Amino acid sequence: MSRVRQKLLLLLILAAALGVTALLWRHEQQNVAITRQAQLDAELRGAAARISQRMVAYEQMLRGVQGLFATKNIGRQAFRAYVESLQLGADFAAIEGVGIALIVPQSDKHKHVERLRAQGFPKYSIWPAGERNSYAPITQFEPFIGRNRSVLGFDPLDTAPRRAAMEQARDSGNAALTGKIQLITRPETEGESGFLMFLPIYKNGSPHDSVETRRASLLGWVFAPFQMSSLMASLYGESSLSTEVRIYDGVELSARTLMYHSAAADDTPPGERLAATEYIQIAGHTWTMVISLRPGTADQSGVDKSQLIGISGIGLSLLLTLLTWQQLTGRMRAIALAGQMTQELRESETRFRRMAQYDALTEVPNRALFGDRLRQAIVQAKRDQTHVALMYVDLDTFKPINDTYGHHTGDLVLKAAAARMQACVRESDTVGRIGGDEFAVLLHLVDDRQDAMTVAEKIRQALNAPLELPGAPVLAIPSSIGIAIYPEHGSDDALLSRNADDAMYVAKALGRNNVQFYRQELALAPPEAVI
Amino acid sequence: MPRPLCRLLLLVLLCAAGTARAVGGPDCSRPMTLALHEHGLLYSSGTGAGIDKDFADELIKRSGCKVTVTIMSRARIWQLIESGALDFSLSGISNEARDKYAGFAWYFANKYYLLVRKDTKVQKIADFENDPQLQLGVIRSFRYSKNANRLVDQLNTQHRVSYSSGLDPLYDVLALNRIQGMIIEPFDYSQVAGSSIRDSTIIVDTGDEPIPHGLIMSKQSVTPGEQDKWRALVKAMHADGTTLRIFARYFSPDLAKAMVNF
Repeated sequence: MSRVRQKLLLLLILAAALGVTALLWRHEQQNVAITRQAQLDAELRGAAARISQRMVAYEQMLRGVQGLFATKNIGRQAFRAYVESLQLGADFAAIEGVGIALIVPQSDKHKHVERLRAQGFPKYSIWPAGERNSYAPITQFEPFIGRNRSVLGFDPLDTAPRRAAMEQARDSGNAALTGKIQLITRPETEGESGFLMFLPIYKNGSPHDSVETRRASLLGWVFAPFQMSSLMASLYGESSLSTEVRIYDGVELSARTLMYHSAAADDTPPGERLAATEYIQIAGHTWTMVISLRPGTADQSGVDKSQLIGISGIGLSLLLTLLTWQQLTGRMRAIALAGQMTQELRESETRFRRMAQYDALTEVPNRALFGDRLRQAIVQAKRDQTHVALMYVDLDTFKPINDTYGHHTGDLVLKAAAARMQACVRESDTVGRIGGDEFAVLLHLVDDRQDAMTVAEKIRQALNAPLELPGAPVLAIPSSIGIAIYPEHGSDDALLSRNADDAMYVAKALGRNNVQFYRQELALAPPEAVI
Repeated sequence: MPRPLCRLLLLVLLCAAGTARAVGGPDCSRPMTLALHEHGLLYSSGTGAGIDKDFADELIKRSGCKVTVTIMSRARIWQLIESGALDFSLSGISNEARDKYAGFAWYFANKYYLLVRKDTKVQKIADFENDPQLQLGVIRSFRYSKNANRLVDQLNTQHRVSYSSGLDPLYDVLALNRIQGMIIEPFDYSQVAGSSIRDSTIIVDTGDEPIPHGLIMSKQSVTPGEQDKWRALVKAMHADGTTLRIFARYFSPDLAKAMVNF
């Protein structure tokens, strides 16, 4: 497999593994989102139900006050005693108090103010000041303590949100809520928002089964102001620490309409987080409740395993790719190793073959290879009817040089001699070392004896040329050369070799440093006869 | 008329009245409870009036019982009907789950429709389902006709449903485009027609048949025999034209007739 394909395959495997990881991660994220959404929905349902039920309880409490007025005209003391007897404890902590606002026509305004002042409130007046057709001043607000005293005489009909709820309660005969308002019992600096609940009081015995009759028989309202944060604090039920609740007045989600926020310090808009929304209708008024995950609490539940899946998946993907890479390149690396070993084996074989065929010192063919080439040359010459010359060359002064200057110098002499002889022959000819200081030269295709003699003389003179070696004086290497020509001096390699050797000995016998052809008569004669 | 004869006649009449109630009317030996919920023409807390209110007044009058009427969310009504803390409610529709804890006395039937913003280009109920951007507003615990229920259930699994305890907020958020559709009934038409969303919405047929609506009776607190007596009252209201007259106050005569005579 090519490298490109290999890389493509690896990329494909990595991409597939990461793709599967991404799918699993996404699936887990979706599951977590579904689980969290279900948890939020359940919490939302619970919280909405608790608020609705609590508001029903508040309404029921106010209906008790309303019922009190349905029996007879109630005096201040009776009303105070009734509210005290309600014992509005922790469940009603959000209620600032219970009050009465009675309709006062403009014509009765003066009389009304005088009556209230006479009842022990010398500074009583209806406020905000101004002339209106009718008023609905707060004539009693219990418990009449602390900041609650400040509401006496306040006319809620004069402010739009309060008037709308009062008119709704008047026309329907039911409880009605105002929108988000700043309670007058609370200074604006506290920033606490609240709302009022109104219930109408009709004249005893008057019909109030239609809008018209209700309007006609209206005496005033009983009401209660609520502080939103206290209302939420007094609810009992399970709530998660990882969620936060926002309640908006109406359906508009803005800071202006925000009535309650369980984590007021956090300003992150809920829209950017997982959230559940429900619209709650209470006494004809709408609140929007939004429950959202608190920032930074997403992982606290331990439900989310997507990060673990993501990290594990990426790790496994890389591991799988690495293993695949090892599988793929392992084969490649085995092939490369085998190739390298084969190469080494081949080189080793070549080296051994060379060692078997060539002389390690002079790097010219040894006796075995030279003999082989001689036999081939004779076969070729026999087939072509040509001539072959075989020379035996003996270095005359090698032994004394070797003895005098040592083996190292002797070896250098042998290498130099071999090199010089090779320089004197054609590439097709062969120079071989067949003994200690004995060389042989094979000349293919010689035309006649003169050709051989010319080469032999050239060799002899080349060897005689001065030779400079380290640690020795300038030397000359005189040589004795014997020549045998195929076919006239021998028809086979053995005979030809012996005859060339004989001729070399004749050359030595004739005073060395000369060249001799094989001559049968000399060869058979004793050495002294040659001289 | 001689005085003893008068006394006798009065006694006979009183006995006859008492016998009639004992034989045909419901058992009024304890105060009973009935809950209404705010829903278009059925009941409005703003005016304290509506079809359900009128029907309840007439039914209570005919029963001769002391029945306390309260207003609460539909979800709470069903919960209290199931537990037996609430005896009656009105305009309820049945399903398998509700049949286990509630009995019904039918008095009208109507179809459900999808009210949808025009800019969604929705022409049929499937168009709404197939566009993942569209959110549906419903009243919590409300059930509808077959196709409408399927739409609500399907969208709920995709978190495409906004819940409300009443209908009015849904109109508001529909106008604000936070939801793009809601399921309505004919008694919601007047609210649609009178509001700002009239020109920006269309009504899409769900393809369902009219669904009977009726008096809901808690099986926990109203025995089967008593349920029959209340059914008889409802039937009598239909037979003498009272139910039709009530509906005719709120609808055109033809529509009222079509709803009551199902």
